[in-house]
Amino acid sequence: MIEIKDVSYSYSNSIVLDKINMNIAEGEAVALMGANGCGKSTLLKLINGIISQDHGQYRFNGEEVTHKKLQDASFSRRFHQKIGFVFQNSDTQLFNTTVYDEIAFGPRQMGLEEVEVEKRVNDCLSLLHIEELKARTPYHLSGGEKRKTAIACVISMNPDVLVLDEPMNGLDPKTQRWLVNFLQLLHRSGKTLIMSTHNLDLVQEIADRAILFDENHRIVEDCATKKLLENVELLKRVNLVDQYYHVHGEGEHKHYHDHN
Amino acid sequence: MIMSEHHMGDHISQEGTDQQKKSAYTSSVYTIPDWLMASEIYEPQTERDTFVNKSILSVFSLLSKIKAQETNQALWYDINTPVNIAGTFLLLLLVALSKSFVFVLIIGVYLLAVLSTFDAPRLVRILKMSMGTTLFSAVIMLPAFLTGNSYSSIMIPCKVLISITIMGLLSQSAKWNSITGALKKFYIPDIFILILDIAIKYMYMLGELSLCLFQALKLRSVGKNKSKYSSLAGITGTVFLQSKEMAEDMYHAMECRGFSGEYHIIHKQRIRWKDIIFMVVNAGFIVLFFYFRSYQ
Repeated sequence: MIEIKDVSYSYSNSIVLDKINMNIAEGEAVALMGANGCGKSTLLKLINGIISQDHGQYRFNGEEVTHKKLQDASFSRRFHQKIGFVFQNSDTQLFNTTVYDEIAFGPRQMGLEEVEVEKRVNDCLSLLHIEELKARTPYHLSGGEKRKTAIACVISMNPDVLVLDEPMNGLDPKTQRWLVNFLQLLHRSGKTLIMSTHNLDLVQEIADRAILFDENHRIVEDCATKKLLENVELLKRVNLVDQYYHVHGEGEHKHYHDHN
Repeated sequence: MIMSEHHMGDHISQEGTDQQKKSAYTSSVYTIPDWLMASEIYEPQTERDTFVNKSILSVFSLLSKIKAQETNQALWYDINTPVNIAGTFLLLLLVALSKSFVFVLIIGVYLLAVLSTFDAPRLVRILKMSMGTTLFSAVIMLPAFLTGNSYSSIMIPCKVLISITIMGLLSQSAKWNSITGALKKFYIPDIFILILDIAIKYMYMLGELSLCLFQALKLRSVGKNKSKYSSLAGITGTVFLQSKEMAEDMYHAMECRGFSGEYHIIHKQRIRWKDIIFMVVNAGFIVLFFYFRSYQ
């Protein structure tokens, strides 16, 4: 479904992605992991066609995605319908006056009948348990409610692939747990999930496969999530976990923790 | 236009009940609707997409300009900012007061020499700015030229070209934060410098926010957008609310840190040989100004 071959991307002469190679098949749940600034978010933007690669090849459903092709309105719209993006900061994603309009924006764009739009919006509201927010202004919602609204406004367009940038960031533990369950359900219903995360506690529950970036903006490991989490030395080398000393009960000892 | 086809049978039929196979996937808490489990076959209507694209490009170009200052490698970039500002205003004053075309030409040659040390994108940016305004002033002076007042009608566009180029040089050779910092040397009030600093910082931050909002709009604009301007109004409103919230947060943070209206800036740049050469050159221009005072 997604094929990325030797993709590089630079910004202001500094390399952000360096010869990235990866394939993601339909129905997979993949986590991109790595320390801050390693290029995860940039890769997600590239997968969504917000930016285009300087070098290399990106293919979606067998079709090459280039800057030139994304300028073609017809291709761009078809592509963006197939692949939905949930931004890290939900504030940057919500621009309508009510939650209802926010969720209805995509289906209305797709030219659906208003009856069908209403059905989709109501389905999304109940799926995400935010029926009571229907008439509220997105800007005044709490962080968790905003994240749910942002997810709802993307899934109302029914994309095949859902890309999430740090979906757990800024959420309380209860909402994080809710999101894990929800993503598991979406995955089980056949959606392809790609997400970036630092959350080592929950990543194993959402993603079967993990791709690890190092601080040189390269992929250093691509394997089952469980296997990656067991490789503490590697996680430590890419600065995703740290080692420190502290007291537990009677004695002092060292152990690893993540930076979340 | 939209057709749905089920393709999700495999996962669900393997572990689901008959009821799940028939309609929707159900967990103890959630029910996935049918339409979400089907693959969308969507053919977009044809409509040009320039509105959002142009908005993205304009915000992106502003952000790039601000960010480009961080990686400025031009030779001129090293010059002590207060010296640079003083030199710039001195040249502006001399060019404005001079009646000598020779003097204006000498300044023009000097600027060309300085511009040759800049990289191509910055050079283009400076020249674009100065050429545009020069063309405008030339058009205004055209009637004077046609009625025989050739001296003023050539002199004024030349002065405009040189003045705008001088300002362009300053804006491209000094970081914005160092310019505001240098203002302290010229006894500009603290509160003015603080407001200027914050304005520049927020221009960038709110610019990034608008860029993300435009990108989000583009990603979801998968069809004919009948209400482009209402989306734009939504984005403007969100940016406005966000700026208000950020301003309030900053005010509280400043209060917590004991802000009393004084804004201390320590200017660490020292005078180096480049700055001395710059000052000597500018002193030379003062001499030339008086030397060519009687020449036209």
